[in-house]
Amino acid sequence: MNKLVIADPGKCIGCRTCEIACVLAHSAADAMVRMSPASFHPRLMVVKTTTVSTPVQCRQCEDAPCAVVCPTGTLVLRNNSVEVIPSRCIGCKSCMIACRFGVIEVLPCEATLADWPLSSRMHVEAVKCDLCEHRASGPACIEVCPMKAISIVDAIVLAEAARKRREHAAMVQAAFGPGDSPGQAST
Amino acid sequence: MAERVLTVCPYCGSGCKMNLLVENGAIVGAEGAHGVTNEGELCLKGYYGWDFLNDTKLLTPRLKKPLLRRRRSEELKEVSWDEAIQFTASRLQKIKHKHGANSIMLTGSARGSGNEANYVMQKLARAVIGTNNIDHCARLCHAPSVAGLQATVGNGAMSNSIVELENTKCIFVFGYNAADSHPIVARRIIKAKEKGAKIVVCDPRFIETARIADLYLPIKNGCNMALVNAFGNVLIEEKLYNQEYVAKHTKGFDEYKAVVARYTPEYVEKIAGVSSAQIREAMRIYAAAPSATIVWGMGVTQWGQGVSVVKGLSALALLTGNLGRPNVGVDPVRGQNNVQGSCDMGVLPNFFPGYQKVTDPEVRAKFAKAWGVPDLPANPGYCLTEVPHLVKQGKLKAYYVMGEDPAQSDPNLAGIREALEEMELVVVQDIFMNKTALFADVILPATSWGEHEGVYTCADRGFQRFNKAIEPQGDVKPDWEILSLLATAIGYPMKYKNTKEIWNELRELCPLFSGATYERMDGLGYVQWPCPAPSHPGTQYLYDGNKFDTPDGRGYLSAAEWIPPFDKLDEEFPVILCTVREVGHYSVRTMTGNCRALQTLADEPGCLQINSADARKHGIDDQQLVWISSRRGKALVRAQVTDRANEGAVYMTYQWWVGACNELTVDHFDPVSKTPEYKYSAVRLESIKDQAAAEAYLQTQYNAMREKLTNVVGN
Repeated sequence: MNKLVIADPGKCIGCRTCEIACVLAHSAADAMVRMSPASFHPRLMVVKTTTVSTPVQCRQCEDAPCAVVCPTGTLVLRNNSVEVIPSRCIGCKSCMIACRFGVIEVLPCEATLADWPLSSRMHVEAVKCDLCEHRASGPACIEVCPMKAISIVDAIVLAEAARKRREHAAMVQAAFGPGDSPGQAST
Repeated sequence: MAERVLTVCPYCGSGCKMNLLVENGAIVGAEGAHGVTNEGELCLKGYYGWDFLNDTKLLTPRLKKPLLRRRRSEELKEVSWDEAIQFTASRLQKIKHKHGANSIMLTGSARGSGNEANYVMQKLARAVIGTNNIDHCARLCHAPSVAGLQATVGNGAMSNSIVELENTKCIFVFGYNAADSHPIVARRIIKAKEKGAKIVVCDPRFIETARIADLYLPIKNGCNMALVNAFGNVLIEEKLYNQEYVAKHTKGFDEYKAVVARYTPEYVEKIAGVSSAQIREAMRIYAAAPSATIVWGMGVTQWGQGVSVVKGLSALALLTGNLGRPNVGVDPVRGQNNVQGSCDMGVLPNFFPGYQKVTDPEVRAKFAKAWGVPDLPANPGYCLTEVPHLVKQGKLKAYYVMGEDPAQSDPNLAGIREALEEMELVVVQDIFMNKTALFADVILPATSWGEHEGVYTCADRGFQRFNKAIEPQGDVKPDWEILSLLATAIGYPMKYKNTKEIWNELRELCPLFSGATYERMDGLGYVQWPCPAPSHPGTQYLYDGNKFDTPDGRGYLSAAEWIPPFDKLDEEFPVILCTVREVGHYSVRTMTGNCRALQTLADEPGCLQINSADARKHGIDDQQLVWISSRRGKALVRAQVTDRANEGAVYMTYQWWVGACNELTVDHFDPVSKTPEYKYSAVRLESIKDQAAAEAYLQTQYNAMREKLTNVVGN
């Protein structure tokens, strides 16, 4: 099963510290000096509706629509996630259209911005949550969130959560005495 | 390899300990440290709010040299420190001789300067100039909390601590938005909820805490006193109050009961905009909890009846016995990183450091002796919100502003601009050029947080030391050193070796702080006053054993009749404007406005939170620029359509220049605390057809203002 980074809306305060951390984790070392709205593309985005505040990011779908529709093999299922091979991306935006969560973007590469418009080709890449695989301490968003609202969920975490819920369900069922359960014939 | 310098965040009052990462004499990053309140966490301001120290010039230039002009018609010119100090000293003395010491007004700073600098500032005002006209921005903020709590329980600060918030069984939030004001306090509220606490929220907006509340009261803007009286009414009529506690530890019950008698939930429904059932439910939850804590902020204090409402909230805690033990209390969560400290240091017109009254002859004699002067001014001085009015009356001639920006944060900015123009002398001591400094005759450049050390007091009375991480650039001096040079030039020799010397001087004069030595604050040290002796552990919660700091040791129950908001709505100005905070910038934005990451997230003209129904009514789309005007002025702002805002009211933050909400706010004050009614101004919205022209206008105005400030400094 793929693992994913996901936030608990019950703990989110909408501060966007995670967004900044994400941008810095995917930029050169001097990114703080050059940050601007034009170059600010976090892979998780805080959404505030009338009732919910939470960042949303890639779910690393098991049967990822983005990978299915990509014509160049840029998106591959590997290392328990949906990985991007940037050099293959042609910027057709099929993945953006297919993604149900709105969490993948086609963006110009930094290198392109550096020599545009001298180069006639627009180098782009699909950008999405990559679980900060390149980071020794793991996902930057998890590290900085002051509410500790974000976590990695993998098969083990899900299994443990399900086990606890089943235990709780069992205790609720235990409230029924012998012969009390619906469908049981009373003695 | 980066060096780690342990310090305290300079932004909000949560008192987060953090490490600044320093490489080759420059700050390259920040990380959380395991402080008492933050336990290793930081918000985006702590993590990414340090690059202003690299003089990014994003918003304003750093002040690097003293500036002076002998006539307002001239431009400010760079001068030596000697000349700047001599000029300031001689001008102050001239004004003192001609108009009296009380024609001079001074401020301390609730932000980077630190407790020691503030102590020296009030000493300068009192011992050297001879006036009690010393104040700071708590006047705009929690002054009603200080006054209201002192009157009812004897101590104006949070009764219980931030750490206790996660263990209380009920958090009663009234007019306080923890998520935007104090993320680290919001963290405790979330933890409390995880531990099973009940959360009740009273707020006109559906704030983040309301999302997780067990009960949310969507109250009407301006109903506070009526609602708080109704709460008292319910506690008494439904016999939910602790009769034994009230009999043993309070006084004034009969008068209190008489006042709240007619504020039945049914009567208050229309005023508060919530049902009587909800009002009753709120108190049933509060009173049933084995421990309950009331937290409040500007939603309570920035009103013409702020003091009375604070007293009313205090009464609810007294009635239910939610004081004098852990995990309960009355918690006015102090906003800025050192606003509690500025109050502690006596940057107040009626108190010496350590909350000792200026009107007390014995206290005056003690300070006079310690400071080597024959006597000290005996009458309480002016509040800084009175400045425009006093200047009009000819009573104030000089304004010495340290680390504050009244031309950005005062209500009715046109009024303070007039006053600054009128003054014979305006001295600004700060780290960045700001709007107030545009009116200055002399600008004294100070070191910033990060470039000096000292002590801050965070929101729950906790003293913590903050440290110097880098050398300052430019010809700047620490605030306390500037003030000492000035005092000496005026004829009062003042010289300190370091902040520790200042701290030790004030410890001896303040019984409440005496035991808080520098050594005890080493590293992650955290000493909460009262701490009367070095062996005393400090005080996590007040009123232990239900002994209140009042003359008879009892808590005082107090209620007042509800007075509606001052600025009247009419056909011309039919909408309510309320000022709020946002989490990504701090206060007047002189620091965060120069931080790249924070500026990337939010920039001019700022947002106008507006309900979708109101937006439709006014023909305004989300993200469109809008004109907003009041009886006092006009501003341009960007609409943020959200149904978290209630119908009939709009919300703006106060740090923008083009979107300056204080051009609009009303200068109506609480009669006791003189705090402005920022939460209610009558405004009008105008949609703009030509959005492209409006965007161009916005950029022109913004750039013009930036240029104006930059040109003053000549960078």
